[in-house]
Parts: sequence; C-alpha cells; structure tokens
Amino acid sequence: MSQGGRLEDAMNEEVKVVTKQRVAGRPKLLVPQIAGFIYCPGCHEPLAARAIAEVLEKLGMGDRAIGVFDIGCNSFLLGMLDIDAVLTPHGRPPDMATGVKRVYPDNIVFTVQGDGGLLSIGADPLLGALTRAEKITIIMLNNAVYGTTGGQMAPTSLEGQVTTTTPNGRDLARTGFPTHAAEMIATFRGVAYSARGAFNTPKNYMRTRKYITSAFQKQMDNVGLSFVEIICACPENWRLSPIDSLKWIEEKMIPEFPLGEFKNVDRIE
Amino acid sequence: MLKGEVIIDEALCQGCGYCVKFCPRGCIAITGDKFTPQGYLLPTVIKPDECKPCGVCAMLCPAAAIEVYKFETEVVA
Repeated sequence: MSQGGRLEDAMNEEVKVVTKQRVAGRPKLLVPQIAGFIYCPGCHEPLAARAIAEVLEKLGMGDRAIGVFDIGCNSFLLGMLDIDAVLTPHGRPPDMATGVKRVYPDNIVFTVQGDGGLLSIGADPLLGALTRAEKITIIMLNNAVYGTTGGQMAPTSLEGQVTTTTPNGRDLARTGFPTHAAEMIATFRGVAYSARGAFNTPKNYMRTRKYITSAFQKQMDNVGLSFVEIICACPENWRLSPIDSLKWIEEKMIPEFPLGEFKNVDRIE
Repeated sequence: MLKGEVIIDEALCQGCGYCVKFCPRGCIAITGDKFTPQGYLLPTVIKPDECKPCGVCAMLCPAAAIEVYKFETEVVA
C-alpha cells in the first residue's frame, strides 16, 4: 500500500527542465580579438563593424558581401569582419567599389570610410561615384577629427572644437564650416538612400542598424547609390572619457548633424 | 530563480563602462577592485537577480566581450 502510494507520488511529480538560450552576444561574422586589442576603449568603430555584421547576418548575405576599406582606423575592419574585403589607397574606396560591383553585380559591395577619407582626400572619387550613380553603399564614420593620425581638424570638426591643429578652437572665419555629408549627398539624382545615425544610445544603435539594412536593401534592389553616415565617438582624440564622449555627442554633435533619413526613393527618374 | 546570466569575457573587456551606463536596471557596476589581464577596470554583475536578460549590455559592447543567456523552465511531466 505504502509502496504503491510512493510510486503514484513519483508519477505525479512535475519534472522541470531548465534550458539556457542565448539572447545576445557576438555576431558570427565578427572576429572579437581585433576589437579588444587594437581599438581604444570606448571607440565606436567596432560597434559599426558589429552593426554591419548583424545586418549581413539578418539579410543572409554574409558570403556574398564585399567590403572596401580605406586607410584609417576603419582599415582594421579588414580583420574584424569575416567577409571578403579589399584595402585601397587613401580616399579611393568608391573607385575600387565601382570596379568590384561591375564585375560582381550580384554581391553587396560597401565601403567604410572616415570623414576625412571621404570628404577631403576622397572627395573626387565620391563625386565620381555619385555622378555615375553606382549601385554601391557608402558608410561614413563621422568622428569630427582625423583619428588615426592623432586628432587633427577634419572637414566635419565643429565650431570652437579644440584639435591638435586648432589649439584655440576651430575658427569658422579662417577654416570654413563643417560639411554635412548626408544632406549634400541626398541632393544628387543618382542617390537612392541617404541617412545619418549615431551609436550614443541603444535606441540610436537600433535605428542606425535599420538605416544600414535599408541601404543594403536598396543596393540589392538595384535602385542606386546608398549612403549612411554614422556619428562615432573618438574618446582618445576628444580627450574625454567614454561616458563623457556620449554626452558630447548628445550635446554638440547631434544639434550640428541632425539624425534621420534625408532621401529614400524606390525608383530613380 | 535566476532569469538570465551575463558573462563578461575578461580577456576582451576594455573597461569603457558602456554596459554600466546602458543597463536599464543597474545590474552591472565597476567596483574598482577587479582588473582585466590588459589592466582595465573590469565591470561585474552586482545584481544577478534583477537581470531580465534584455541584451542591451551585449548589444553596445564595442569589444564584443559580453554574452547574455536566458533561462527558461519547461514542465515536462
């Protein structure tokens, strides 16, 4: 009697199984060692690599993406993203991407460049690619200085910003005005998509990831050139802590460079 | 019962503090007495019970040093 009762209890007892599921972590296309050892603490460029890796994984285009990288901190994306990639002379990724895209029209071809590499040294290849309406994606990382060479003034430096070449702050009467790339590129007829994002909050990170997805989608639909500008922190050259640099983006960079989509068309006429 | 687990890879962490800044529940903190092999201050999970594994810390980790797991209990019999 007692034995049977015990057996019944054992039969009715609930068996709980605890499973462990991965919620978030490193994307498969990202090689983590490079980020941990080459970039400065708090740099946003590994986040750009991460966003690109997540988008390519979501689109399922990891094996059909070709990255074209410039000289600068973004050169390290060559080892950080587990995709096919080319490294070009300084400022020439749009030219190289044109060639790669015309040979492999079914692949996603994108460039990652800094603000100095795209807007001053690489302004001529950029204008050429915009005029020809190449079906490529250009991703510009805007940190308002030349990061790799030690924080010199760039075309996107803000008014009054102290850099190594403007120790008293950028004087607009002497050096001109900051360049707004996303607005400028949106005015070209061959451009299908132009947007500006940032990585200073989780919300902005997710929005920027959506912009990159739309830009790659425009290229896959063969519409025209797509452009995404990303405001990145450079705590090392801004002489700020990583947390203070997030505040600086919020207070100084975003009022000068508003976030959002500036052009989004499905057909170029 | 823990709902989730946050694993920080000491070898990759650079101590920037973005996970501390962005955790919506304040579960992660830099206590100041732990260091990574590279010599940076290491953040630690101080309130593991309050973590509702949302994954924000892992999403904004520049060094990709954080992995977040969720525990799910299933009743089989």
